[in-house]
Amino acid sequence: MKRPHRAEEAPGRRRAQPGQKERAGGSPGSGSPPRKQAERRGRRELLGDRERGSAEKICRGRKKKDGRASLREQRAPSKREKEVRRKEEVWKQLKKHRSSSMASSTSSGESLSEEELARILEQVEDKKKLIASMRSKPWPMSRKLAELREAQEFLEKYEGALGKGKGKRLYAYRMLMAKKWVKFKRDFDNFKTQCIPWEMKIKDIESHFGSSVASYFIFLRWMYGVNLVLFGLIFGLVIIPEVLMGMPYGSIPRKTVPRAEEEKAMDFSVLWDFEGYMKYSALFYGYYNNQRTIGWLRYRLPMAYFMVGVSVFGYSLMIVIRSMASNNQGSTSEGDSDNFTFSFKMFTSWDYLIGNSETADNKYASITTSFKESIVDEQESSKEENVHLTRFLRVLANFLIICCLCGSGYLIYFVVKRSQEFSKMQNVSWYERNEVEIVMSLLGMFCPPLFETIATLENYHPRVGLKWQLGRIFALFLGNLYTFLLALMDDVQLKLSNEETIKNITHWTLFHYYNSSGWNESVPRPPLHPADVPRGSCWETAVGIEFMRLTVSDMLVTYITILLGDFLRACFVRFMNYCWCWDLEAGFPSYAEFDISGNVLGLIFNQGMIWMGSFYAPGLVGINVLRLLTSMYFQCWAVMSSNVPHERVFKASRSNNFYMGLLLLVLFLSLLPVAYTIMSLPPSFDCGPFSGKNRMYDVIQETVENDFPTFLGKIFAFLANPGLIIPAILLMLTPIPHQDTVGKSPISSFLSCSFPGTAHHSASQSQTLDQKAQGSGASSSAGKTVLPASQHLPVSRAPGVRPDSGQAQPQAHPWRSTSGKRAWRPPH
Amino acid sequence: MGSRSSHAARIPDVDSLRRETGSVSQASLRRLYDRFQALDRTGKGYLSRLDLQQIGALAVNPLGDRIIDSFFPDGSLRLDFPGFVRVLAHFRPVDEEEEGNRDPKEPEPLNSRMNKLRFAFQLYDLDRDGKISRHEMLQALRLMVGVQVTEEQLESIADRTVQEADEDGDGAVSFLEFAKSLEKMNIEQKMSIRILK
Repeated sequence: MKRPHRAEEAPGRRRAQPGQKERAGGSPGSGSPPRKQAERRGRRELLGDRERGSAEKICRGRKKKDGRASLREQRAPSKREKEVRRKEEVWKQLKKHRSSSMASSTSSGESLSEEELARILEQVEDKKKLIASMRSKPWPMSRKLAELREAQEFLEKYEGALGKGKGKRLYAYRMLMAKKWVKFKRDFDNFKTQCIPWEMKIKDIESHFGSSVASYFIFLRWMYGVNLVLFGLIFGLVIIPEVLMGMPYGSIPRKTVPRAEEEKAMDFSVLWDFEGYMKYSALFYGYYNNQRTIGWLRYRLPMAYFMVGVSVFGYSLMIVIRSMASNNQGSTSEGDSDNFTFSFKMFTSWDYLIGNSETADNKYASITTSFKESIVDEQESSKEENVHLTRFLRVLANFLIICCLCGSGYLIYFVVKRSQEFSKMQNVSWYERNEVEIVMSLLGMFCPPLFETIATLENYHPRVGLKWQLGRIFALFLGNLYTFLLALMDDVQLKLSNEETIKNITHWTLFHYYNSSGWNESVPRPPLHPADVPRGSCWETAVGIEFMRLTVSDMLVTYITILLGDFLRACFVRFMNYCWCWDLEAGFPSYAEFDISGNVLGLIFNQGMIWMGSFYAPGLVGINVLRLLTSMYFQCWAVMSSNVPHERVFKASRSNNFYMGLLLLVLFLSLLPVAYTIMSLPPSFDCGPFSGKNRMYDVIQETVENDFPTFLGKIFAFLANPGLIIPAILLMLTPIPHQDTVGKSPISSFLSCSFPGTAHHSASQSQTLDQKAQGSGASSSAGKTVLPASQHLPVSRAPGVRPDSGQAQPQAHPWRSTSGKRAWRPPH
Repeated sequence: MGSRSSHAARIPDVDSLRRETGSVSQASLRRLYDRFQALDRTGKGYLSRLDLQQIGALAVNPLGDRIIDSFFPDGSLRLDFPGFVRVLAHFRPVDEEEEGNRDPKEPEPLNSRMNKLRFAFQLYDLDRDGKISRHEMLQALRLMVGVQVTEEQLESIADRTVQEADEDGDGAVSFLEFAKSLEKMNIEQKMSIRILK
């Protein structure tokens, strides 16, 4: 072991001499690479062989990056060097020709101006100087190499400009193209920004009303995008195939308006209620036929209908969770620590981009408020007031609000019951027909302010108060929604129980029709006209219509509220201020502020309606897309024309994820009733794509049995075993909480709540797995990062220092045997 | 093209300026020069305080005067173009790539985090003694919240701020303490103007 070691050491020392010699004798006039190479070699020699071994090993490792350098040591004047030399010569020549080329450029200069040329010449000269003086620069070798490469590239690129004729023209052309390309890229970027819908409108609002109001509009835009995708899914895969290839209107009973309704079927009041021709159109579930395949494409419509219904939920779930996760990632980097609240407010509260004086005033106000808030925080944390009174008031407030919630819930239940009775009667007024919608909208309009009034009793911190307020409104909406659903479910059950008798009636009618006496038996009777066939109530369509009506009335109420509450109020305040006893603008009515939380909650619940209703009314998403589109323009206009900025601009980034969490909750909640009806209620016998089946999901089984090979069918039957399905679902859910365990987002807590044992467990499992993976990844990446760092070792380290870790490498690098010999062969 | 390049040439000593301010690109220099000339209404070749006070965003800014002050170091009354660029170079976005291969021996570029912070610091440090005293803080606070908060509350805020940030107990915030209290703030991004690439 020692012998080779010592043996190698000797040449190492001897090698130092030539290296130094070379270094000392480097010709001053020539280009730097040979000198640098010499320098490198010389240094390496000084390092001694042990380090040399390691250095060589590393060298081998970095062949990619620096392969040429080691190659160069093999064959002394490398290609690169030659290149450099050649360039230097060219440069010298150029220097001579410079004046002449300049002259020619001025004479011909159609695309290259004199100044530009002069500048390029100057730059080229700079680069040349740099190359020449590279040696004396106190840079590490790697940087020198990088600079050298860069300079040479520059020369290669721009040399053409200095040549005559073809080279110059080529260069000019290239420059022109480069400029055009840059311009094109810039234009394209502008174009892309312009393509973002409503970007300008939203920016406009943001500059006037702050990011919190803008966040609502961004949320609205996002929602519009999601709905557009859902719309494309449903229209492309369900409605359009049905319209193009399905049986036409009037061909079968379910696609025909019944005889009794025929007279009024085209009246506007009937159509407005989605009855008549609206009801018997492709917008609703009942219109679809249960034919397995339709048209020449043999499109499996019932199957498609079912799958689209499922994928609407799947897509929504995925997109909501994804955007939550991305929001989370963004928000963690935001610098907001508890340690330096006052310093932060003191030094960073002003927004330097504000250029509008009104916004500036509001910013003043908000800074003041935030300071006041922090003072309040400080005071509240330090002292405790009358605990018993506060507690009593809070309990009282909660009691009152629970009473309100219960009352509103009962009211809705009562109204829905009544509306069922009304629907059985013949002559009902407009109010009686729309009672449910009116009551729900009124509750939605008056309860939140009521809650706010009651909440003042509680004397919470405003931030906490806002959360309570949001939670209560959410509960109100949710309670309303669910009482509405329960009442609807009663209705459905009633219709279902009637269905059997209607079925018999239909059967008997047809039977009697075909077998009645008094008709010539020899001539087959013409089939009964579809409008005359008695039919069931089709609860699915009824549910769809209910959601449709609710959506439309909700939209109208929103618009009317904006028109009355915001626009007319603003007009009144603005114009009556001239002739009023007190200052209307500053005093009592004032202008309205934009109600962010109410609007966002409205949007979220509307979306819940869409999710619930879209299975039974495929056209609902279309209506919703229209609604969002109009409300985008309408609300933008209303905000800009008749609202004033908030006095307190609260942060948008956090609340945004809070809204998303609510949306996710609503998605889950709206999934439940739909899943329940699909899984446990029998579809109507004479309408919809699943008629005649026991359950709606039987369509999958049917498809598997008829269209797939038998062995696949067996596999599917095996997979359909609940014992396999449940773990599979859990397995699919595990990535969700894992995705943002870092941020502790509402989803993860929500999911771990709903599946206490499994999800949590598996989440932690997958987390540990991932940590392992990350660990290995980190170690490997660390290895990667260590390597380049150590690459610099032989260069940057002072020549005399020996690294302790340096190990002799017995197996030599290929070049070492050759070049090494060559290098330390004593000069004869 | 010709007009543009001649335009570029009109900018006084471009190259030394570029070297000094890090790599402010030619295009943004040109843009800055245009802006400079637009601000200089009477075409006198330099900017005065009055010119800067015409800018709307500065007029509404409570610290607007301080910002204008920072353009006029050492009590001078004229701001020439190099000075203009030098101040604005603080707001150039930090280029990570550039940051990676920067030579540690060279002086920090003007757009480094520390220099950005220093710029912000001197907005508050009125007497330029390297410390933000309680008095200076109160002055800034008064500018920022106006009359809506009582003097007593302002004082308590200033006290709290000093208490939070002050580590060595001298009753004032030094630059290091200032930098420490804003440690978590994304200064690189916030104190950057995108167009100054």
